[in-house]
Amino acid sequence: MCMTDDDKPVADGSGELEETAPKRSKRFEALDERAVTEDGFVNEWPEVGFVAMESPNDPDPSITVEDGKIVEMDGKDREEFDFIDRFIADYAINVDKAEEAMATDSEQVARDLVDINVPREDIVELTTAMTPAKLSAVVNHLDTAEIIMAMKKMRTRQTPGNQCHVTSVEDNVAQIAADAAEAALRGFYEIENTVGVARMAPLTALAQQIGAQCGRGGVITQCAVEEATELELGMRGMTGYAETVSVYGTEDVFKDGDDTPWSKAFLASGYASRGLKMRYTSGAGSELNMGQAEGKSMLYLESRCILVTKGCGVQGLQNGGISCIAIPTSVPAGVKEVAAENLITMMADLEVASGNDQTFTHSDKRRTARMMPQFLAGTDFIFSGYSAVPNYDNMFAGSTFDSYDFDEYNIMQRDLQVEGGTKPVDEDTVLEYRERAAKAVQSVFEELGFPPISDEEVEAAVYANGSKDMPERSTAEDIKAAEEMMEEGLNGAEIVKILADNGFEEIAENLLGILKGRVAGDYIQTSGIFQGDGDFDVVSAVNDPNDYQGPGTGHRLEGEDWEEKKQVRFAVDPEDI
Amino acid sequence: MAQAQQQERTLVLSEKGVAEEGTDTDEVVISISAGFNEMKDETLAGVKLAEILREMMAGIEEEGLTARVVRFTDNLDLGVIGLRGAKLSGSGISIGIQTRGTTLIHQEDLVPLSNLELFPQAPLIDLETYRAIGKNAALYAKGETPEPVPVANDPMARPKYQALAALWHIKEMGYKDEDKDPMEMEVSFE
Repeated sequence: MCMTDDDKPVADGSGELEETAPKRSKRFEALDERAVTEDGFVNEWPEVGFVAMESPNDPDPSITVEDGKIVEMDGKDREEFDFIDRFIADYAINVDKAEEAMATDSEQVARDLVDINVPREDIVELTTAMTPAKLSAVVNHLDTAEIIMAMKKMRTRQTPGNQCHVTSVEDNVAQIAADAAEAALRGFYEIENTVGVARMAPLTALAQQIGAQCGRGGVITQCAVEEATELELGMRGMTGYAETVSVYGTEDVFKDGDDTPWSKAFLASGYASRGLKMRYTSGAGSELNMGQAEGKSMLYLESRCILVTKGCGVQGLQNGGISCIAIPTSVPAGVKEVAAENLITMMADLEVASGNDQTFTHSDKRRTARMMPQFLAGTDFIFSGYSAVPNYDNMFAGSTFDSYDFDEYNIMQRDLQVEGGTKPVDEDTVLEYRERAAKAVQSVFEELGFPPISDEEVEAAVYANGSKDMPERSTAEDIKAAEEMMEEGLNGAEIVKILADNGFEEIAENLLGILKGRVAGDYIQTSGIFQGDGDFDVVSAVNDPNDYQGPGTGHRLEGEDWEEKKQVRFAVDPEDI
Repeated sequence: MAQAQQQERTLVLSEKGVAEEGTDTDEVVISISAGFNEMKDETLAGVKLAEILREMMAGIEEEGLTARVVRFTDNLDLGVIGLRGAKLSGSGISIGIQTRGTTLIHQEDLVPLSNLELFPQAPLIDLETYRAIGKNAALYAKGETPEPVPVANDPMARPKYQALAALWHIKEMGYKDEDKDPMEMEVSFE
């Protein structure tokens, strides 16, 4: 039907109403169905800081030192400093070297970062004497391939590693213990838990600790919850390290959390005084998420976070987007920016747990491309949260790689001959360890008079893929036990005793090893981990420093580790044909 | 069909005066953020704020308690407005909600980041869940220990909504007034 100018309908001859929708390309219609169209993309808005790198509002690097004190930095006089500037100027920058470092051409430092003839220690001398604006300016000269090369040389510990998440949407303790045991077997050096319900943390931390020590003695565990609870769980030996102590790049975000760099330093000293390993967490997008980015680029603000960490005397940092990852990845060069912030952390001579943590995309290709810089270069922890459970159980709201990707991730390491920090395992061994872990937690709960874990639950936990395979369990009852556990002051030594008395001597030995590690304090050195073979030998930047200087140096995937990596459980053996 | 009828309802919030500390132990405060129903009348996921508030209030009332709605304009942090709401609440319990839909249940003697229950993934909270949140808040107010409301978890909520949520938050900051006291709100549905 058509309309004439005087609004009278006239026949158009087709006998049907004419379609008014514009005709669409079938190609574009097919493209509209692709997963990537579900992702959030935002155009740059530099006025508020919606920009990954090089905002027009970022300051130019500068420094003035008088009588061994920084009196001007990045275009601001000392009187104008906010508390972050002041903290960085007074505690994070090596003043003796600052004028030399700042006077060195940024592009020259960038070239040195990728020059295999310039050793790491020469670069660190300068980069630990730079201001936040200078560090960003240096890294802004690198493209992504150069960032990878620079990371390969600049990470502190020579041996790369990996960290995973073990969580349950039901906070189911038997399941968490079994999954922690499996994750340890798969090669992760660190395991991280968090909870659906905050008050469950003492029990899930305990279950995770037992499971991890069942899998491999020396895998360290953490439970990401409110900071005071997190510290208390560590002090009691329910965890072996902490990571979720957050720092921010603008004063307003710090203040919103009732915090300052000094209060964070105080918290860090709480861990250090107990011999507990800890690192801070920051990462692009957190200031913008709070609407308090002051129009600065994500990389510049992150440089400030990195130097606050350095100034606090903390050995390492988790960054690379993390919980706000979908903000940098929504803007141009966002994925490059998160690799750049990992690199600056290394340039500050800190351990880096390099993101590849929470989900940011619906696209399998984007999530794989995003992790390539850290994967190819190798970092202290390539993922700072590979989900060792199905993402539906991941209480960090999903990780970019999860348990469904275990085989693919192993095979990528085999394809490219790259150490990615996980290894192939066989099903029977996994089931055996899962059973031992679940039974150990069952015994501990029984001894402590906590809500019983039934044999049915143990059986389900052994064979489970995730919480959907677990029988119902009362969270309210578990919460009561968790509260009781905190009130009565239960500690790791008592758990060791219970495990030993109930036939779990090996797990008891390993848990005791973790507690002893805190007394020795060696694993709180930069990038410290335990080897994970039950001997509690520490590997860190001190005894395993990165000496990469091109072919023939640095970490190489070869020998026994490479042979292990070659295994694909469904590979064809030519001898069988 | 029921949903089509519900969509007609509009929420009218008007200020009654500065919110006072309550003495009635049978009340639960609902803390709303600066731009709630001002900047937008729906959450990030498109759920109407009118329906959400009605469900939460109904959840509280079906346990025999009353709801008070207080708007905080001087701070946008959910942990902070939730906790401050709890301190104003006669029962010591509050629900905090931001325009984008993020919600928590808070108690007066806790710290901002340690709440009773948190529902961080705003786009996943449906109306039934908002009602259950109201009911649980009322049960805590009565001194009971209810089973926590099941937490929804969708790993794809962040990829879809996080950057958008940040944009909303930045826009909501335009409604912030640091000098303004928390206001007691009159609630009506038209």
